[in-house]
Amino acid sequence: MDSVIIGEQLGFGPIEKYPPIQIPRHQTTFLYGPSGCGKSTLARLMNATLSPAQGQLVFDGKPYEEWDVLELRQKVVLASQNVFLFDQTIRENFGTFYEYRELPVPTPEEMTFYLNLCCLSFSLDRSCEVLSGGERQRIFIAICLSFRPEVLILDEPTSALDGATAHQLMNNLTTFAKEQGITLIIISHDKAIMEKYQEHVISCEQEGMDG
Amino acid sequence: MDSIVKLEIISFALIYALLIIILFIMKKSQIQQSKLLVWASFRMTVQLILAGWILTYIFENPHPAFVLTYFLVMNIFAVHRVLSKNKSLNRKFKVAIALSLSLSGLAVLVFFILVVIGESLFNPQYVIPLSGMVVGNAMTGVTLGVKTFRESFEGQRNRIQALLNLGVHPKKILLPFANQALETALLPTMNSMLGMGIVSLPGMMTGQILSGTNPSTAVLYQIAIMIAITSVVCVSVFSSLYLGYRTLYNEKYQMELP
Repeated sequence: MDSVIIGEQLGFGPIEKYPPIQIPRHQTTFLYGPSGCGKSTLARLMNATLSPAQGQLVFDGKPYEEWDVLELRQKVVLASQNVFLFDQTIRENFGTFYEYRELPVPTPEEMTFYLNLCCLSFSLDRSCEVLSGGERQRIFIAICLSFRPEVLILDEPTSALDGATAHQLMNNLTTFAKEQGITLIIISHDKAIMEKYQEHVISCEQEGMDG
Repeated sequence: MDSIVKLEIISFALIYALLIIILFIMKKSQIQQSKLLVWASFRMTVQLILAGWILTYIFENPHPAFVLTYFLVMNIFAVHRVLSKNKSLNRKFKVAIALSLSLSGLAVLVFFILVVIGESLFNPQYVIPLSGMVVGNAMTGVTLGVKTFRESFEGQRNRIQALLNLGVHPKKILLPFANQALETALLPTMNSMLGMGIVSLPGMMTGQILSGTNPSTAVLYQIAIMIAITSVVCVSVFSSLYLGYRTLYNEKYQMELP
């Protein structure tokens, strides 16, 4: 199996040892388990905003310590559950995030494309302050996705959505990722979603991960 | 102009009679702060009398060691005050603040006394009052700037985390906060410049005029000290924040916010 991220003997905080991590390239991997079992921490370890207390992570065959940290984070983007959007319109939010990343701002057509992918049909001039939690999260995911990272980690992307929208979103995301060769890592505690879209599962009900 | 009328002890004591009015109003309005008023007035009296004695002694026996000690003590006090209002900062940030405050105060003071006034750096008559104003204002500015910087993270943690997760350099994330805090710290000083001479005659100028200085000389001093104060606030806050924000992330660009 071609693994894009490999983690061995990982430990952080109360979780002394995570199960071995192997994220298959260009597939959708689920981190599945009850809340509080260390899924979000594992996501931060893979995104290198935290360093493991023990063990080693490897991305693309090169240990994390040898990567330029910022380059690594740009390749392995984490869209955490704590969504942040600027108090601006959707268009301006794209602009601000791209300015922070020092990249040319996408065209309105591209922005709309990524919004549609995330099951949103808003005008780009909608302001983000007034949107619901689930809508804001999807706008945030659309922005993260538009950076076209090699690996995209989504923390509970469907938790604020009704069943139909959740399935539509997952369907769109997995299809797009497959076409574009993006590796998806989805953190979820929704069993039905996990079973339907997983190609690989790291379960934190296994030994070691329930801290 | 006549020199200032020397205050006679007995008539001077009458000013304390005004405190009775305050106490009376406090009692009427049920403000439970009369103890504080008495204690504060007492402390002020003792502290100032002591300061008067010390200054008299230093002026009569001018010695560089006295001036240096005075400056040092004042700086330590100022640094201590800033840090006690910002306890949650990491160690390196605190060092950055201490250095910024002391060095920028020293630099502006040296320039002011040596170049602008053309006096000796160890003449206590100039160094002590001027350094008091310079360091005191720098202290207020840095306290405000660092507090604003620190508090601006509240409610913005998701923003910082989201940008960090996307691979944005911590410097790029933190600079807007530092710039905003610097602006906030500068505004009170600049606003006080605006009202100067109209809303109020500033303390130093009033003092000089009372003690018989020609008002136009007093005005020049006041203008100079205001510009010196604004510069020291700007430089000390800038340097505290720009050295300080770098202590909030490690070499792996992982952040720990105060």
